Amino acid sequence: MSDSMILLLAKGAWETIVMTFVSGFFGFLIGLPTGVLLFMTRKGQVLEHKTFNHTISIIVNIFRSIPFIILIVWMIPFTRALVGTSIGVEAAIVPLSIGAAPFIARLIENSLIEVPGGLVEAARAMGATPFQIVYKVLLPEALPSILNSASVTLITLVGYSAMGGAVGAGGLGQIGYQYGYVGYDVFVMNTVLVLLIALVFIIQFLGDFIAKRVDHR
Amino acid sequence: MIELRNITKKFFQKTRAITALSGVSLTVPEGKIFGVIGSSGAGKSTLIRCVNLLEKPTSGEVIVDGQNLMDLSPKQLAKARRHIGMIFQHFNLLSSRTVFENVAFSLELDHTPKAEIEKRVTELLDLVGLNEKHHDYPVNLSGGQKQRVAIARTLASNPKVLLCDEATSALDPATTKSILALLKDINKRLNITILLITHEMEVVKDICDEVAVISEGKLIEQGAVSEIFSHPKTELAKAFIASALSLDIPADYKERLVSAPAENKRPLLKLEFTGQSVDDPVLSEVARLFQIDSNVISARMDYAGGIKFGVMLIEVFGTQENSLQAIEFYKSKNIKVEVIGYV
Repeated sequence: MSDSMILLLAKGAWETIVMTFVSGFFGFLIGLPTGVLLFMTRKGQVLEHKTFNHTISIIVNIFRSIPFIILIVWMIPFTRALVGTSIGVEAAIVPLSIGAAPFIARLIENSLIEVPGGLVEAARAMGATPFQIVYKVLLPEALPSILNSASVTLITLVGYSAMGGAVGAGGLGQIGYQYGYVGYDVFVMNTVLVLLIALVFIIQFLGDFIAKRVDHR
Repeated sequence: MIELRNITKKFFQKTRAITALSGVSLTVPEGKIFGVIGSSGAGKSTLIRCVNLLEKPTSGEVIVDGQNLMDLSPKQLAKARRHIGMIFQHFNLLSSRTVFENVAFSLELDHTPKAEIEKRVTELLDLVGLNEKHHDYPVNLSGGQKQRVAIARTLASNPKVLLCDEATSALDPATTKSILALLKDINKRLNITILLITHEMEVVKDICDEVAVISEGKLIEQGAVSEIFSHPKTELAKAFIASALSLDIPADYKERLVSAPAENKRPLLKLEFTGQSVDDPVLSEVARLFQIDSNVISARMDYAGGIKFGVMLIEVFGTQENSLQAIEFYKSKNIKVEVIGYV
């Protein structure tokens, strides 16, 4: 393998990592509050609100049903308005974040459902406000489960970012597509695969490790 | 200190309404321990949740420390709840926090300065006897220790009132005793008014001053513990008292038991002492008056609110005529006698 090829693969791997984690971060920035709202407005919860809950739920479902490859194309005008271009890593981060957010919202909602209802009741009895219930009870108690959701999300994003590579997002996906699909270079294609697999394993391992550390149940 | 006026609570399920509480009124004077006893599904959990408005009554008034909670805004209610402590059957400790952090929880809600939290939590953990467990997580504690942490946590905000929702129902008998002793101690030492709900008459007998019996969402009987124990009016109250004094016939006696008198068989009597029974040394009186020997097989006598009560299983040695006279004598002392059979 030539030096230039190694350099290309290293750059691709770096771009994939950046896309995964940065869009994971923005995905959580949107998805976490949405998930919390979905949970808090559920029937029987502190901020029960049927209409509000249904509205968010429908929006989340709509975004979850758009295939990612179509979401990228569909969002091009918005992406361009936001970052000035529709190709490259920066541009890919926009649809990746938007694609991950509803997925994260549902995972967060499910994590919060698992928190025993008695804990919320105890906090209410002690005079906690809804906001205090969220950040002092629900989120800390659900943290191990939220961290597991985070690794699931990041691994999904590795796959999405590779898909984005086919339409010019950069990263390992684009290398794999160009050299593998277009050029049929088996060696490069397999190297890309090995790198992607390694990345997924590392994320899963770190996720499990951290989740275990914070779990006192 | 706590006053419920004509509380009604209905739950609405699609098309039908279920009445969990109807027309419940009760008053808990300051510094007293008030018990509400009932079977599961009687509405006692709903009742205690109405006191701090975890469940909002459909109608009625809830007055705690002179404040009508039904009139308060959510913000004012949150503030009022800081002075109403509550402990639960399943403790409801935060698994993500250590013992220390759990107790600090309610102080954090009030934005108490760190140094003060440190001091107060240490004080409280001393009070409940857990000063060596500061940095343990709840998962490593026994049930009794968890309830102690929960008590310390709820005391942190200096409540005037403590609500106990089946606080000892998940604990073994010895631990139950120690938690009840702690509650009694808190009641005396800090002058905290306690309202507790339970399905165990033992709990009421051990620490309550007053008791109410709840059935199908209504309080069917209430009064001082000694009064209810001595003159239970309703069948349910009687059943609860009996359950605190249940007595089983030993297996080998059961085998030999026959229902009719027979040669070489002696009567087996069950004596029930209630508040109306005359407090006399009846066993020795019977022995003297009727030449009857009594063999006590098992007995459970107790003392609550200045009244002696209980049950006793005795085997009677004597002629048939004398035995009958002895039974009449017991009855004349207002002791309930039941001839179980002959052994």
